[in-house]
Amino acid sequence: MPSPEDDSSDPTRPHDLDVVQRWFQAVVSHPSGVGEGVDSAQAQELICLKRDELEKVVRSTRRFGASERLSVYANAYYARLLECLGESFTVLKHALGEDTFNEFAFGYLQTYPSRSYTLNRLGEGFARYLDETRPRSSGTEPLGPDWPDFLIDLARLEWVIGQVFDGPGLEQEDPLDYESLQAIAPEQWPQARLKLAVCLKLLQFSYPINDYYTEARRAREGEKIPLPEARRQFVAISRREYVVRRYELSEPQYRLLESLQAGQTIGQAIECAAEILDADDQELAVSLRSWFHNWAAEGFFQAVQE
Amino acid sequence: MSQPKKSMPVSRLGHPNLGLGVGLRTTHFSYILEHKPQVDWFEVISENFMDSGGRPRYVLEQICERYPVVMHGVSLSIGSTDPLDFEYLSKLRALAKDIKALWVSDHLCWTGVAGRNTHDLLPIPFTEETLKHVVERVRIVQDFLERPLVLENPSTYLMFSESTLSEWEFIARMAEEADCGLLLDVNNTYVSSFNHELDPVEFIDSVPHDRVVQFHLAGHSNYETHLIDTHDNYVIPPVWELYQQAHGLTGGVSTLLEWDARIPPFPEVHAEVLKAKKFMGERLQKPGPLAEEDLVPAQPMPQGASAEHGRRDASWVPHPLHHIVPEVR
Repeated sequence: MPSPEDDSSDPTRPHDLDVVQRWFQAVVSHPSGVGEGVDSAQAQELICLKRDELEKVVRSTRRFGASERLSVYANAYYARLLECLGESFTVLKHALGEDTFNEFAFGYLQTYPSRSYTLNRLGEGFARYLDETRPRSSGTEPLGPDWPDFLIDLARLEWVIGQVFDGPGLEQEDPLDYESLQAIAPEQWPQARLKLAVCLKLLQFSYPINDYYTEARRAREGEKIPLPEARRQFVAISRREYVVRRYELSEPQYRLLESLQAGQTIGQAIECAAEILDADDQELAVSLRSWFHNWAAEGFFQAVQE
Repeated sequence: MSQPKKSMPVSRLGHPNLGLGVGLRTTHFSYILEHKPQVDWFEVISENFMDSGGRPRYVLEQICERYPVVMHGVSLSIGSTDPLDFEYLSKLRALAKDIKALWVSDHLCWTGVAGRNTHDLLPIPFTEETLKHVVERVRIVQDFLERPLVLENPSTYLMFSESTLSEWEFIARMAEEADCGLLLDVNNTYVSSFNHELDPVEFIDSVPHDRVVQFHLAGHSNYETHLIDTHDNYVIPPVWELYQQAHGLTGGVSTLLEWDARIPPFPEVHAEVLKAKKFMGERLQKPGPLAEEDLVPAQPMPQGASAEHGRRDASWVPHPLHHIVPEVR
């Protein structure tokens, strides 16, 4: 605690603008409110004053005191950011309920306060935060000790959806269609590489997150969708005509696309899928024709890479 | 009420008077593209589009082909002691060039320090130190953007005890010394004046009128001890009166209505800004009682902003920010 003789923290002397701003930010972003914010070690190091001395820094009027004035900013800080996170993770919020979601989001904002000029990045670290903290619900945990994995998966899905929605896409150019794929000479297929659409994201989950996401979005007001049992699920997220689309994949499909996305040849990618696909050569060929036809129709491919 | 000056020369830094415009909001995207309303111009939130590669940017480009557009930012943080963010400024400059924005504005405030962003428009002390700091940064930003900056007076809920200048003195000197433009938010003038028990008429009288490039109008919420700039309601009669005063003193500049929460359908928002026509002209006397349609409809009084639960409910926050929600199938 600085002594009253320390000019830099003396509330009665003009302060450097930097000191005022750091003090203000420490006070209004304190998790326990303005009073605790003023008392905090961080604030006291900057401007040493008691709660009833706020008028030394903030003008007050009879009808609206200094503490109340600071509280407008303090409450707005969390209200605004919690609302933003709630809109970024609507299904996670549904799964947790508003109070628990806000509890976790509040903790997230303490650990990862925004450092970007855009609110669009506010939730960037939320899945990581849930993974780091593996939070426990204040009530019973219906999915047992792996409940946080469900939350993390859901947060990952919703974050990726947001990124795909407003990230780069192929709407201003023609994706590679099936006819163009067929134009690749058969003998060149094994060595050819495909550039996947810039907006295509591949995700694997420990829970059927995509199904839960669909059910939760269809839920009526007040209806709670039961949390699912663990089951691996593979999903592709992409965008066509500016709308985000979700595709459930089998594990062989996922491995094939993952391999292509990593820059492997079509031949190598097919081998990855074939290793885990229980099919003979003819069945594999039929499956591959169907997969590539459907994926091309959905705009998964951008170009054949030389 | 002050008497508007006669034959007021209009500078607006050479910008045109675009007429009556509306803030572009996601909820109105489809309506605007389908109906192509006869609105004079749009203001867009810079941060919503500078990184956009999806539908928001596509819609913006469609709108720019048809309507004049200006950019309005919320993260420039011109008053912060953190270094200017040149990555941000580069994107701002690029967007302005791409969409041919007529001007670029932001707020006289800071949004965070020590690398953080509170995403709020935080107040600055009105001192010689702050003035010098802000002027220097405005000059740097203007050089980088290769155009004058236009700065808005934000709504404020506190003033610092060490302020030695009034807000209007600060703004006037900043505009002259930095050679920048002003976005005179008439609702913010009313809100801040109420909150600090100051005279909004004096504020309007005292800002440099030839540097005003644009007006903002908006609704707010009344909590009796203070007002909050919630942008979720009609413009109230006292704010229209201030607008009339400002219009007379400036000779008329581009006017924009902000409606950012509980947003009604586009025609209703447009109709609200069109009311401004009633407050333009050469009237030198205080206007008489306003017509019924100009009065604010009764709204339920929301909970106080300083209550503990105020953290959990964002319906009352000042100048609500915009987060675009994805369209998903």
